[in-house]
Amino acid sequence: MKTSGKGKAFLAEEGEMEHNPEKAAFRMWLRVFVTIRWITILGILAATLVASRLFHIGFPTTAAYAVCVFVTLCNLALLYQARRLRKMPTSQAIHQARVWGTVHLLLDLLAFIVLLHFTGGIENPFVFYFVLHIIGASVILHYRVVYMLATAKIVAVMLLVGLEYAWGKYGWGIPHINLVGFASPTLYQQESYILVVLIVLGSALFAATYMATSVAGELRKSQRAVVSLSQRLLKKRTGELEQASVEIAKLEEEKNRFLRFLGIAAHDLKAPLTAIQGFLWIMLGGYSGDITDKQRNMLERSTFRIKELMNLISDLLDIPRIETGQIVEEMKQVSLGQVIRASIGDLRETAKQKKLKLELELPPALPKIYGSAPRLQQVITNLVSNAINYTPEGSITIRVKAGDDEIQVEVVDTGIGVPAEDLPRLFEDFFRAGNVETKGTGLGLSISRRIVEAHGGRIWVESPCPETGKGSRFAFTLPRKIENKRR
Amino acid sequence: MPHKILVVDDDPDILEAISMILESQGYKVATARDGVEGLANLKAEKPDLLVLDLMMPKMDGFAVCKELQDPRWAKYKDMPILILTSVREEASRRRYELETGLELDVDDYVEKPVSPDTLLERVGRLIKRKGSG
Repeated sequence: MKTSGKGKAFLAEEGEMEHNPEKAAFRMWLRVFVTIRWITILGILAATLVASRLFHIGFPTTAAYAVCVFVTLCNLALLYQARRLRKMPTSQAIHQARVWGTVHLLLDLLAFIVLLHFTGGIENPFVFYFVLHIIGASVILHYRVVYMLATAKIVAVMLLVGLEYAWGKYGWGIPHINLVGFASPTLYQQESYILVVLIVLGSALFAATYMATSVAGELRKSQRAVVSLSQRLLKKRTGELEQASVEIAKLEEEKNRFLRFLGIAAHDLKAPLTAIQGFLWIMLGGYSGDITDKQRNMLERSTFRIKELMNLISDLLDIPRIETGQIVEEMKQVSLGQVIRASIGDLRETAKQKKLKLELELPPALPKIYGSAPRLQQVITNLVSNAINYTPEGSITIRVKAGDDEIQVEVVDTGIGVPAEDLPRLFEDFFRAGNVETKGTGLGLSISRRIVEAHGGRIWVESPCPETGKGSRFAFTLPRKIENKRR
Repeated sequence: MPHKILVVDDDPDILEAISMILESQGYKVATARDGVEGLANLKAEKPDLLVLDLMMPKMDGFAVCKELQDPRWAKYKDMPILILTSVREEASRRRYELETGLELDVDDYVEKPVSPDTLLERVGRLIKRKGSG
């Protein structure tokens, strides 16, 4: 028997084409059809052998075997056809399955009538097996076709029985073959028996057709509903996604345009300021002749204001540089210890002037990290100089803690702290805390946040510092390993 | 004999300011407004030091550095170059190293605006280095 092997092959290949439950059901049905036919052929062979050898019922066995051969050939053809269905698109496959199904059911009908004729006609109780056949057909065919098939079946049986009856009664028609030793040779002439068998067979056929087609119809309807629902959902989802990605691309472009604009504007602002600053320094340095103390004072204040503007511009320039990912290009293996020492180098003097203690607590073995040294230096310088600015007396501690996945850098001071209501907004652009005189650009912490985030870390503040109960603690983390995005 | 310095910058005010500072210390100063003029003046003036801006029209500072690596300019191989630019160091360092294949020495780079003291200190250091090397 090849059937089971083929069946497995069908199952394994099911995923090849687009999945449609209706098509899958049709193919499943064809497989079942083929299998039932093999079983039927075996059944006929077995019944023929048993009837002729065991019960010694007399009938032309050759005809029965011939029918078996015919059905076998039909089944092989169907097997081949079912394999071809796999490669077809759903709608064509369903149509094709119906056509082939109808043809094979008609072939079966023909084989059945021929077999019935050679195995006693109305005498053969296997005539009721016809009902099973119609149930199979109901699953695949349109219900009208099934009713027509059922009608064709009962008509064909009536014709056969009628013609055999006529042959016995009037001498024309189809000769009757008696199942010798099983049924009375005159049974086929017994009108009441014929009538009852035909009525039972006919009503059973139509009742089975009605039940099977309604169940199959419901099943198909729900299969179609599932398919159309899933397609509708898929279409809706795809549409939403497409729209969202268009919006995102637009926003991204808008942002990049703005960043480019910011970069160029900041750079062009810097050029004239540089020239002004140059001349101011020349005058201050006495390169252009002597100046009065009053003039000196005003010139010094001017350079101070220019310096402020320069800081703002270089902060504004930093933002597009960081946001457009230039920071990633600057990244390499760096020593955090070196970065920290370089950051506080110039600040030691400032701290000393304010009589503040500047303490460094580094673990003995500090691993190298992947990052941009000048940018990290910028973060630490920013945090430490803030701490110095806002600490009237006491100390500033820079502490590094190495964890398993990340390294944490803390800057703890004993200063004025940050008011609770300002804490959530402290890392926003241009935000300045309420308790300080406006000194900086208001961009230092927001740039630090961008730099830390570009490294894959987090930055936060606690005020007062939870350990000392005063001042504030700024901390940020750096992951020990950063995915190299360009890989 | 006083040392001669060629200053190349597209901003005339910067040229004037730098010239004033350098001349006050007795240096002889020649100027140029872009890279092309700078290379022409280099041949004419044969300076001891080149002060070079990076962002300039026609031929920028990167291109000038690259051009000077050519064997035709072998005479100027030992002439120190001081890069004086408003571009942040880490941003231009990368590009400089990519374009010229040379490593940028810390002494060779000053970010604008530069104070007279810093400028004179750097110039003095570079000229001394040339003299000793």
